[in-house]
Amino acid sequence: MTSAIRKLVDNFTEADIDDEIIIMRLDTGELLGLDGTSAEIWRLIDGARDREELIGALASNYEMGRRQLAHDVGEFLGQLKDAGLIAVE
Amino acid sequence: MAKSDAQLLMERETRVRYGPVDHDQFGYALKPGNSHLERDCYLLRTTDGLSYCYRKGEGITICRADDADLSEERLWLHGSVYSAVACINGLLPVHASAVAHDGKIFAFTGPSGAGKSTLIAALGRLGLPMFCDDTLVLDLTDPGRIIGLPGHKRLKLTPQAVEMTGAEPQEKVGEDIDKYYAVAPAGDIATPLPLTELIFLEEDSTMAMEPISGAERFIRIQDDHYTSHLFAAARQFDRAGQFAHRARLASQIAMYRFSRPMDVRRFEDGVELAASHVTRIGRD
Repeated sequence: MTSAIRKLVDNFTEADIDDEIIIMRLDTGELLGLDGTSAEIWRLIDGARDREELIGALASNYEMGRRQLAHDVGEFLGQLKDAGLIAVE
Repeated sequence: MAKSDAQLLMERETRVRYGPVDHDQFGYALKPGNSHLERDCYLLRTTDGLSYCYRKGEGITICRADDADLSEERLWLHGSVYSAVACINGLLPVHASAVAHDGKIFAFTGPSGAGKSTLIAALGRLGLPMFCDDTLVLDLTDPGRIIGLPGHKRLKLTPQAVEMTGAEPQEKVGEDIDKYYAVAPAGDIATPLPLTELIFLEEDSTMAMEPISGAERFIRIQDDHYTSHLFAAARQFDRAGQFAHRARLASQIAMYRFSRPMDVRRFEDGVELAASHVTRIGRD
Protein backbone atom coordinates (compact mmCIF):
# COMPACT_ATOMS: atom_id res chain seq x y z
CA MET A 1 0.00 0.00 0.00
CA THR A 2 1.37 3.43 -0.88
CA SER A 3 1.15 6.47 1.37
CA ALA A 4 1.02 9.61 -0.72
CA ILE A 5 2.59 12.67 0.82
CA ARG A 6 0.77 15.94 0.47
CA LYS A 7 1.46 19.49 1.55
CA LEU A 8 -0.84 21.01 4.15
CA VAL A 9 -1.28 24.17 2.15
CA ASP A 10 -3.48 25.92 4.70
CA ASN A 11 -0.66 25.82 7.23
CA PHE A 12 2.04 27.75 5.38
CA THR A 13 2.92 30.19 2.66
CA GLU A 14 6.02 29.94 0.50
CA ALA A 15 8.15 31.84 -1.99
CA ASP A 16 10.92 30.99 -4.45
CA ILE A 17 13.91 33.29 -4.29
CA ASP A 18 16.62 32.35 -6.75
CA ASP A 19 17.01 28.58 -6.31
CA GLU A 20 15.91 28.60 -2.69
CA ILE A 21 12.51 28.26 -1.09
CA ILE A 22 11.33 30.16 1.96
CA ILE A 23 8.40 28.68 3.86
CA MET A 24 6.57 30.42 6.66
CA ARG A 25 4.31 28.65 9.13
CA LEU A 26 1.17 30.71 9.38
CA ASP A 27 0.51 29.76 13.01
CA THR A 28 3.88 30.81 14.40
CA GLY A 29 5.52 32.93 11.71
CA GLU A 30 8.50 30.59 11.87
CA LEU A 31 10.59 30.60 8.70
CA LEU A 32 12.16 27.60 7.03
CA GLY A 33 14.71 28.01 4.27
CA LEU A 34 15.22 25.18 1.81
CA ASP A 35 18.00 24.83 -0.71
CA GLY A 36 19.72 22.01 -2.59
CA THR A 37 18.26 18.58 -1.90
CA SER A 38 15.67 19.78 0.59
CA ALA A 39 14.28 22.26 -1.94
CA GLU A 40 14.21 19.51 -4.54
CA ILE A 41 12.30 17.16 -2.23
CA TRP A 42 9.83 19.91 -1.41
CA ARG A 43 9.20 20.54 -5.10
CA LEU A 44 8.65 16.82 -5.70
CA ILE A 45 5.93 16.57 -3.04
CA ASP A 46 2.83 16.69 -5.20
CA GLY A 47 0.18 14.84 -3.22
CA ALA A 48 0.61 11.74 -5.38
CA ARG A 49 4.15 10.47 -4.74
CA ASP A 50 4.88 8.38 -1.68
CA ARG A 51 8.20 8.20 0.13
CA GLU A 52 9.67 5.52 -2.16
CA GLU A 53 8.70 7.44 -5.26
CA LEU A 54 10.34 10.56 -3.90
CA ILE A 55 13.53 8.60 -3.29
CA GLY A 56 13.31 7.09 -6.77
CA ALA A 57 12.88 10.53 -8.36
CA LEU A 58 15.92 11.83 -6.50
CA ALA A 59 18.17 8.79 -6.93
CA SER A 60 19.20 9.52 -10.48
CA ASN A 61 20.58 12.91 -9.46
CA TYR A 62 22.63 11.83 -6.48
CA GLU A 63 25.68 9.67 -6.22
CA MET A 64 25.06 8.63 -2.62
CA GLY A 65 23.77 5.13 -1.97
CA ARG A 66 20.04 4.54 -1.94
CA ARG A 67 20.14 3.61 1.74
CA GLN A 68 21.75 6.92 2.68
CA LEU A 69 19.34 8.80 0.44
CA ALA A 70 16.37 7.01 2.00
CA HIS A 71 17.65 7.94 5.45
CA ASP A 72 18.08 11.61 4.53
CA VAL A 73 14.69 11.84 2.83
CA GLY A 74 13.00 10.14 5.78
CA GLU A 75 14.62 12.52 8.22
CA PHE A 76 13.61 15.56 6.22
CA LEU A 77 10.03 14.36 5.77
CA GLY A 78 9.87 13.82 9.53
CA GLN A 79 10.89 17.44 10.10
CA LEU A 80 8.25 18.67 7.67
CA LYS A 81 5.62 16.52 9.32
CA ASP A 82 6.56 17.71 12.81
CA ALA A 83 6.31 21.29 11.58
CA GLY A 84 2.80 20.64 10.30
CA LEU A 85 3.76 21.26 6.69
CA ILE A 86 2.95 17.82 5.23
CA ALA A 87 0.73 14.82 5.91
CA VAL A 88 1.20 11.22 4.89
CA GLU A 89 -2.08 9.74 3.71
CA MET B 1 8.64 66.20 -17.50
CA ALA B 2 5.26 65.24 -16.05
CA LYS B 3 5.34 63.94 -12.51
CA SER B 4 4.16 60.45 -11.69
CA ASP B 5 0.94 59.79 -9.80
CA ALA B 6 2.98 58.77 -6.76
CA GLN B 7 5.02 61.99 -6.85
CA LEU B 8 1.87 64.09 -7.10
CA LEU B 9 0.33 62.09 -4.27
CA MET B 10 3.30 62.73 -1.99
CA GLU B 11 3.37 66.42 -2.91
CA ARG B 12 -0.31 66.70 -2.08
CA GLU B 13 -0.17 64.70 1.12
CA THR B 14 2.92 66.41 2.54
CA ARG B 15 1.54 69.93 2.32
CA VAL B 16 2.06 71.62 5.67
CA ARG B 17 -0.01 73.95 7.79
CA TYR B 18 0.59 75.15 11.33
CA GLY B 19 -1.96 74.76 14.09
CA PRO B 20 -2.88 72.81 17.21
CA VAL B 21 -2.20 69.06 17.37
CA ASP B 22 -4.25 66.81 19.63
CA HIS B 23 -1.89 64.49 21.52
CA ASP B 24 -4.83 62.49 22.91
CA GLN B 25 -6.45 61.52 19.63
CA PHE B 26 -5.60 57.82 19.95
CA GLY B 27 -7.21 57.53 23.37
CA TYR B 28 -4.10 58.21 25.44
CA ALA B 29 -1.70 61.10 25.89
CA LEU B 30 1.23 60.64 23.51
CA LYS B 31 4.40 61.46 25.40
CA PRO B 32 7.32 63.48 24.00
CA GLY B 33 9.75 61.31 22.03
CA ASN B 34 7.00 58.98 20.79
CA SER B 35 4.95 58.43 17.67
CA HIS B 36 1.80 56.52 16.80
CA LEU B 37 0.59 55.32 13.41
CA GLU B 38 -2.89 53.91 13.06
CA ARG B 39 -4.80 53.42 9.82
CA ASP B 40 -4.75 56.76 8.01
CA CYS B 41 -3.28 58.88 10.78
CA TYR B 42 0.22 59.48 12.15
CA LEU B 43 1.16 61.46 15.23
CA LEU B 44 4.70 62.40 16.28
CA ARG B 45 5.76 64.35 19.33
CA THR B 46 9.43 65.24 19.63
CA THR B 47 11.32 65.95 22.82
CA ASP B 48 12.10 69.44 21.48
CA GLY B 49 8.56 70.81 21.50
CA LEU B 50 7.47 69.94 17.98
CA SER B 51 4.34 67.93 17.18
CA TYR B 52 3.26 66.61 13.81
CA CYS B 53 -0.06 65.17 12.82
CA TYR B 54 -0.75 63.68 9.41
CA ARG B 55 -4.18 62.53 8.35
CA LYS B 56 -4.76 61.07 4.91
CA GLY B 57 -6.30 63.64 2.60
CA GLU B 58 -5.67 66.49 5.03
CA GLY B 59 -1.90 66.92 4.90
CA ILE B 60 0.46 67.59 7.80
CA THR B 61 -0.20 69.85 10.75
CA ILE B 62 2.79 71.08 12.73
CA CYS B 63 2.44 72.50 16.21
CA ARG B 64 5.33 74.44 17.72
CA ALA B 65 5.45 74.74 21.50
CA ASP B 66 6.71 78.06 22.83
CA ASP B 67 10.13 76.59 23.54
CA ALA B 68 10.31 74.39 20.42
CA ASP B 69 13.65 73.82 18.69
CA LEU B 70 12.71 75.03 15.21
CA SER B 71 16.09 74.11 13.77
CA GLU B 72 15.02 70.47 13.65
CA GLU B 73 11.55 71.03 12.23
CA ARG B 74 12.52 70.26 8.63
CA LEU B 75 14.60 67.27 9.67
CA TRP B 76 11.62 65.54 11.28
CA LEU B 77 9.35 66.59 8.43
CA HIS B 78 11.62 65.11 5.77
CA GLY B 79 12.46 62.04 7.84
CA SER B 80 9.99 60.24 10.09
CA VAL B 81 6.92 62.17 8.99
CA TYR B 82 7.68 61.81 5.29
CA SER B 83 8.15 58.05 5.77
CA ALA B 84 4.88 57.72 7.65
CA VAL B 85 2.96 59.65 4.99
CA ALA B 86 4.45 57.36 2.35
CA CYS B 87 3.43 54.24 4.27
CA ILE B 88 -0.12 55.39 4.84
CA ASN B 89 -0.44 56.01 1.11
CA GLY B 90 0.86 52.58 0.11
CA LEU B 91 4.42 53.62 -0.66
CA LEU B 92 7.36 51.90 0.98
CA PRO B 93 10.14 54.01 2.51
CA VAL B 94 13.53 52.35 2.81
CA HIS B 95 16.40 53.64 4.91
CA ALA B 96 18.77 54.21 2.01
CA SER B 97 20.68 56.82 0.04
CA ALA B 98 20.91 56.38 -3.69
CA VAL B 99 22.55 57.46 -6.91
CA ALA B 100 21.22 57.10 -10.44
CA HIS B 101 23.05 55.72 -13.43
CA ASP B 102 21.80 54.81 -16.89
CA GLY B 103 18.18 55.40 -15.86
CA LYS B 104 18.35 53.12 -12.84
CA ILE B 105 18.63 53.54 -9.09
CA PHE B 106 21.45 52.06 -7.02
CA ALA B 107 20.57 52.39 -3.36
CA PHE B 108 22.96 52.02 -0.43
CA THR B 109 21.46 50.98 2.87
CA GLY B 110 22.74 50.45 6.38
CA PRO B 111 22.22 51.74 9.89
CA SER B 112 22.90 55.35 10.86
CA GLY B 113 26.62 55.98 10.68
CA ALA B 114 27.23 53.32 8.02
CA GLY B 115 28.37 55.97 5.55
CA LYS B 116 25.42 56.19 3.17
CA SER B 117 25.42 59.96 2.67
CA THR B 118 29.21 60.17 2.60
CA LEU B 119 29.34 57.60 -0.18
CA ILE B 120 26.65 59.37 -2.20
CA ALA B 121 28.59 62.65 -1.92
CA ALA B 122 31.80 60.94 -3.02
CA LEU B 123 30.09 59.18 -5.94
CA GLY B 124 28.71 62.54 -6.97
CA ARG B 125 32.25 63.80 -7.29
CA LEU B 126 32.75 61.03 -9.85
CA GLY B 127 29.73 62.21 -11.82
CA LEU B 128 26.95 60.03 -10.41
CA PRO B 129 23.90 62.17 -9.57
CA MET B 130 22.13 61.79 -6.24
CA PHE B 131 18.70 60.21 -6.26
CA CYS B 132 17.93 60.55 -2.55
CA ASP B 133 19.59 60.78 0.84
CA ASP B 134 18.55 58.69 3.81
CA THR B 135 15.02 57.83 2.72
CA LEU B 136 14.15 56.12 -0.55
CA VAL B 137 10.41 55.92 -1.18
CA LEU B 138 9.33 53.02 -3.37
CA ASP B 139 6.19 52.81 -5.48
CA LEU B 140 5.02 49.18 -5.67
CA THR B 141 1.96 49.85 -7.87
CA ASP B 142 3.38 48.07 -10.92
CA PRO B 143 3.67 44.38 -9.99
CA GLY B 144 6.44 43.92 -12.55
CA ARG B 145 8.92 46.45 -11.19
CA ILE B 146 9.72 48.66 -8.23
CA ILE B 147 9.95 52.39 -8.84
CA GLY B 148 11.79 54.85 -6.60
CA LEU B 149 10.65 58.42 -6.08
CA PRO B 150 13.33 61.11 -6.06
CA GLY B 151 14.02 62.39 -2.58
CA HIS B 152 14.84 65.71 -1.01
CA LYS B 153 17.50 67.66 -2.80
CA ARG B 154 20.33 67.91 -0.31
CA LEU B 155 22.70 65.59 1.47
CA LYS B 156 23.25 65.64 5.21
CA LEU B 157 26.95 65.26 6.00
CA THR B 158 29.06 65.16 9.13
CA PRO B 159 32.08 67.50 9.27
CA GLN B 160 34.31 64.47 8.63
CA ALA B 161 32.23 63.51 5.57
CA VAL B 162 32.50 67.07 4.28
CA GLU B 163 36.26 66.86 4.62
CA MET B 164 36.52 63.42 3.02
CA THR B 165 34.33 64.24 0.05
CA GLY B 166 35.22 67.88 -0.54
CA ALA B 167 31.53 68.79 -0.44
CA GLU B 168 30.45 72.40 0.09
CA PRO B 169 28.71 72.60 3.47
CA GLN B 170 25.67 74.82 3.91
CA GLU B 171 23.70 75.43 7.11
CA LYS B 172 23.56 72.96 10.00
CA VAL B 173 20.89 70.28 9.88
CA GLY B 174 19.83 71.12 13.44
CA GLU B 175 21.10 73.15 16.36
CA ASP B 176 22.20 70.06 18.28
CA ILE B 177 23.07 67.84 15.33
CA ASP B 178 26.61 67.83 14.02
CA LYS B 179 25.65 67.55 10.37
CA TYR B 180 25.46 70.03 7.53
CA TYR B 181 23.32 70.22 4.44
CA ALA B 182 25.27 69.97 1.19
CA VAL B 183 24.38 70.06 -2.49
CA ALA B 184 25.12 66.86 -4.39
CA PRO B 185 28.20 67.46 -6.56
CA ALA B 186 26.72 65.89 -9.71
CA GLY B 187 23.23 67.27 -9.18
CA ASP B 188 20.15 65.27 -8.51
CA ILE B 189 17.41 63.43 -10.37
CA ALA B 190 13.84 64.70 -10.50
CA THR B 191 12.06 61.78 -12.16
CA PRO B 192 11.08 58.37 -10.76
CA LEU B 193 13.31 55.50 -11.83
CA PRO B 194 13.32 51.72 -11.37
CA LEU B 195 15.25 50.42 -8.38
CA THR B 196 17.92 48.09 -9.72
CA GLU B 197 20.03 47.27 -6.70
CA LEU B 198 20.02 47.54 -2.95
CA ILE B 199 23.58 47.51 -1.63
CA PHE B 200 24.17 46.85 2.07
CA LEU B 201 27.02 48.80 3.63
CA GLU B 202 29.03 46.76 6.09
CA GLU B 203 32.28 47.12 7.94
CA ASP B 204 34.95 44.51 7.38
CA SER B 205 38.74 44.31 7.36
CA THR B 206 38.70 43.51 3.65
CA MET B 207 36.96 45.29 0.81
CA ALA B 208 34.50 43.44 -1.40
CA MET B 209 31.28 43.77 -3.35
CA GLU B 210 29.45 40.44 -3.25
CA PRO B 211 25.98 39.42 -4.43
CA ILE B 212 23.40 38.33 -1.88
CA SER B 213 21.23 35.49 -3.05
CA GLY B 214 18.36 33.25 -2.05
CA ALA B 215 16.92 33.21 1.45
CA GLU B 216 19.40 35.81 2.65
CA ARG B 217 17.65 38.37 0.45
CA PHE B 218 14.41 37.67 2.27
CA ILE B 219 16.10 37.95 5.65
CA ARG B 220 17.77 41.20 4.66
CA ILE B 221 14.43 42.69 3.70
CA GLN B 222 13.00 41.56 7.01
CA ASP B 223 15.85 43.28 8.83
CA ASP B 224 15.22 46.57 7.10
CA HIS B 225 15.67 49.33 9.61
CA TYR B 226 13.13 51.71 10.97
CA THR B 227 10.53 51.80 8.23
CA SER B 228 9.25 48.26 7.74
CA HIS B 229 7.13 48.31 10.89
CA LEU B 230 5.51 51.57 9.78
CA PHE B 231 4.58 50.10 6.42
CA ALA B 232 3.23 46.93 8.02
CA ALA B 233 1.17 48.99 10.48
CA ALA B 234 -0.23 51.19 7.74
CA ARG B 235 -1.07 48.31 5.40
CA GLN B 236 -2.54 46.25 8.23
CA PHE B 237 -0.87 43.17 6.86
CA ASP B 238 -1.66 39.81 8.28
CA ARG B 239 1.21 37.36 8.54
CA ALA B 240 0.73 35.98 5.02
CA GLY B 241 0.41 39.46 3.55
CA GLN B 242 3.63 40.56 5.20
CA PHE B 243 5.38 37.47 3.88
CA ALA B 244 4.15 38.03 0.33
CA HIS B 245 5.26 41.65 0.47
CA ARG B 246 8.76 40.76 1.61
CA ALA B 247 9.03 37.91 -0.86
CA ARG B 248 8.18 40.25 -3.69
CA LEU B 249 10.87 42.72 -2.67
CA ALA B 250 13.42 39.95 -2.21
CA SER B 251 12.61 38.52 -5.64
CA GLN B 252 12.60 41.79 -7.57
CA ILE B 253 15.52 43.69 -6.06
CA ALA B 254 19.06 42.53 -6.70
CA MET B 255 21.14 42.85 -3.54
CA TYR B 256 24.83 43.20 -2.83
CA ARG B 257 26.96 43.34 0.27
CA PHE B 258 29.56 46.11 0.12
CA SER B 259 32.03 45.42 2.89
CA ARG B 260 34.93 47.74 3.58
CA PRO B 261 37.10 48.94 6.44
CA MET B 262 35.90 52.11 8.17
CA ASP B 263 39.31 53.62 7.64
CA VAL B 264 39.69 57.07 6.14
CA ARG B 265 42.85 55.94 4.34
CA ARG B 266 40.87 53.30 2.44
CA PHE B 267 37.90 55.55 1.72
CA GLU B 268 38.85 56.39 -1.86
CA ASP B 269 39.38 52.71 -2.69
CA GLY B 270 35.86 52.01 -1.50
CA VAL B 271 34.42 54.85 -3.53
CA GLU B 272 36.19 53.58 -6.64
CA LEU B 273 34.89 50.07 -6.07
CA ALA B 274 31.34 51.31 -5.60
CA ALA B 275 31.55 53.55 -8.67
CA SER B 276 32.93 50.80 -10.89
CA HIS B 277 30.24 48.43 -9.65
CA VAL B 278 27.45 50.88 -10.40
CA THR B 279 28.74 51.87 -13.81
CA ARG B 280 29.54 48.26 -14.75
CA ILE B 281 25.99 47.24 -14.02
CA GLY B 282 24.80 50.14 -16.09
CA ARG B 283 26.77 48.92 -19.06
CA ASP B 284 25.58 45.31 -18.81
